[in-house]
Amino acid sequence: MIQTPPGRAFTLPRKAVLLAAAVFVTLILVPAFCHQGYALRLMGMIFMGIALASCWNIMSGYTGYIDFGPAAYFGIGAYATALLMVRGGVPFFLSIVLGGVVAVAFAVPVGLPTLRLRGAYFAIATFAFAEATRQAVLEWDRVLGVNFFQGSHGITLPIGPTHQFFYYTFLVIMTVLFVITYLVERSRMGYALKAIHEAEDAAELIGVNTLKIKIYAYAISAFFTAVIGGVDAYWLTYITPNDVFSVHITIKMVIMCLLGGMGTLLGPVVGASFLTLISEPLWARFPYDYLIIIGVIIVLVIVAMPKGIVGTLLEWKVDSRGT
Amino acid sequence: MGPEQNIILEGRGVSRYFGALAALSGIDFSLYEGEILGLIGPNGSGKTTLFNVIVGVCRPSEGKVFFEGRDISGMSPHRICQMGIAKTSQIVQPFTRMTVAENVLVGAMYGGGLPQKEAWEKTREILAFVNLDKVMNTPSGKISIPERRRLELARALATSAKVILLDENMAGLNPNEIEEALDLLRAIRERGVTLMVVEHIMRAVMGISDRMIVFNYGEKIAEGTPREVAENPSVIRAYLGDKYA
Repeated sequence: MIQTPPGRAFTLPRKAVLLAAAVFVTLILVPAFCHQGYALRLMGMIFMGIALASCWNIMSGYTGYIDFGPAAYFGIGAYATALLMVRGGVPFFLSIVLGGVVAVAFAVPVGLPTLRLRGAYFAIATFAFAEATRQAVLEWDRVLGVNFFQGSHGITLPIGPTHQFFYYTFLVIMTVLFVITYLVERSRMGYALKAIHEAEDAAELIGVNTLKIKIYAYAISAFFTAVIGGVDAYWLTYITPNDVFSVHITIKMVIMCLLGGMGTLLGPVVGASFLTLISEPLWARFPYDYLIIIGVIIVLVIVAMPKGIVGTLLEWKVDSRGT
Repeated sequence: MGPEQNIILEGRGVSRYFGALAALSGIDFSLYEGEILGLIGPNGSGKTTLFNVIVGVCRPSEGKVFFEGRDISGMSPHRICQMGIAKTSQIVQPFTRMTVAENVLVGAMYGGGLPQKEAWEKTREILAFVNLDKVMNTPSGKISIPERRRLELARALATSAKVILLDENMAGLNPNEIEEALDLLRAIRERGVTLMVVEHIMRAVMGISDRMIVFNYGEKIAEGTPREVAENPSVIRAYLGDKYA
């Protein structure tokens, strides 16, 4: 039996790095050859899905803490970006980064009490937080008699640039998240996150400050979720609380990650691509029934591959090695 | 054990109540540097609770615990571990999807505060020491019971702990495996680690302990060398009933 030297056990082989680089370069070149607006928009949506699923993966995929409220940070990012651009005249890229900072300012105080909760309680608490932020933004102006969030009227952003712009923006964000996930996985922090997932009390007993590590992961996840929310707001040009704080955003992130495989590097990539690519043609063909069909497909995949597509394939590979 | 020896860990009047139940009441104890201290007592007598209070899993309701002269009562478990006290659990809790080596690595990085590269070196050394080097790349969910027991020890050792508390680390082992485990404990003591051992297998704990403390209903009923303890009437009464005392 070949012994992999420890520490290198999960390092990507050279071929995989080259392949990833080749994919990245190809994706950079695609818009130069493809002038179809729809294709670029669809690709942009896939990148956004992968990025969102990666955010959820970094927190929930690795620690097993089911965050059911990332929509809060998506909405916070969307609103922060919209308000900064419309009211403050702040440039777009600065706005989305500031949106991420605002999200972190919420995530830390929210995480400190909720990340002490285990299992379903954490999911319920985060879900409640997301719903509360949606309501707060919705009712803020009416209750306080001001004109700030504009409640259900929503906010209109400046008309955005082309699909190509968003294609590249999401490509960059997705790549950054992919690299971060890759680095986290083999860092000190990655080991701690996995240890928390497996046996949190044991991790604490051998010196891991579990609360601190969970807060870090939660804040990273919130930051990027908000950045993506900001970009999406600019892409949509019109946002309302019910759209950007929607529980559907949360559900989508969870499903994409579950389908692909929680706590794996490629899980979000596979899950988000798979879900978006089956949704689009089904939606076009069966506009009224497509959600039912997607539901059935999701159930079938999860039944056949309970650890997600990537997770289950990895398991088969390990089992076939006979260790 | 002469009186000139340094006290490394000390409890003064440690009590822990769960509602009206006194799991520990007013326990005083001292652990001397380099010794093996055995803790025995019937089920539910407070041994595991005392361990949990020492490592910060639960706070003492009353009293204080001192480690190297510093009051550590109420500190969080990771902080206490980083200071130098590790505990192995009665029910083994390996990080099952991580390899054996990675399990130990987490202890070396966090408890031991080592950078990743040094932590790997430490991990290799510890794994060889506890004789787990052959299974180092096996997922820890797939190793045998004795190996799991040794993995618990390896994780604790990797934190560079000065004191290790062993909570029934020999449960579920056969006589041969117990002999091996006892040899390993002696070797750990040779490394300069002080041990506090909770064990139900009387022959094992009697054979290895320098001193022993006996608990019953949350109280310390006897203390001394294994021989003194074994001949103590209140110990016999606690274990076998009044008829034998």
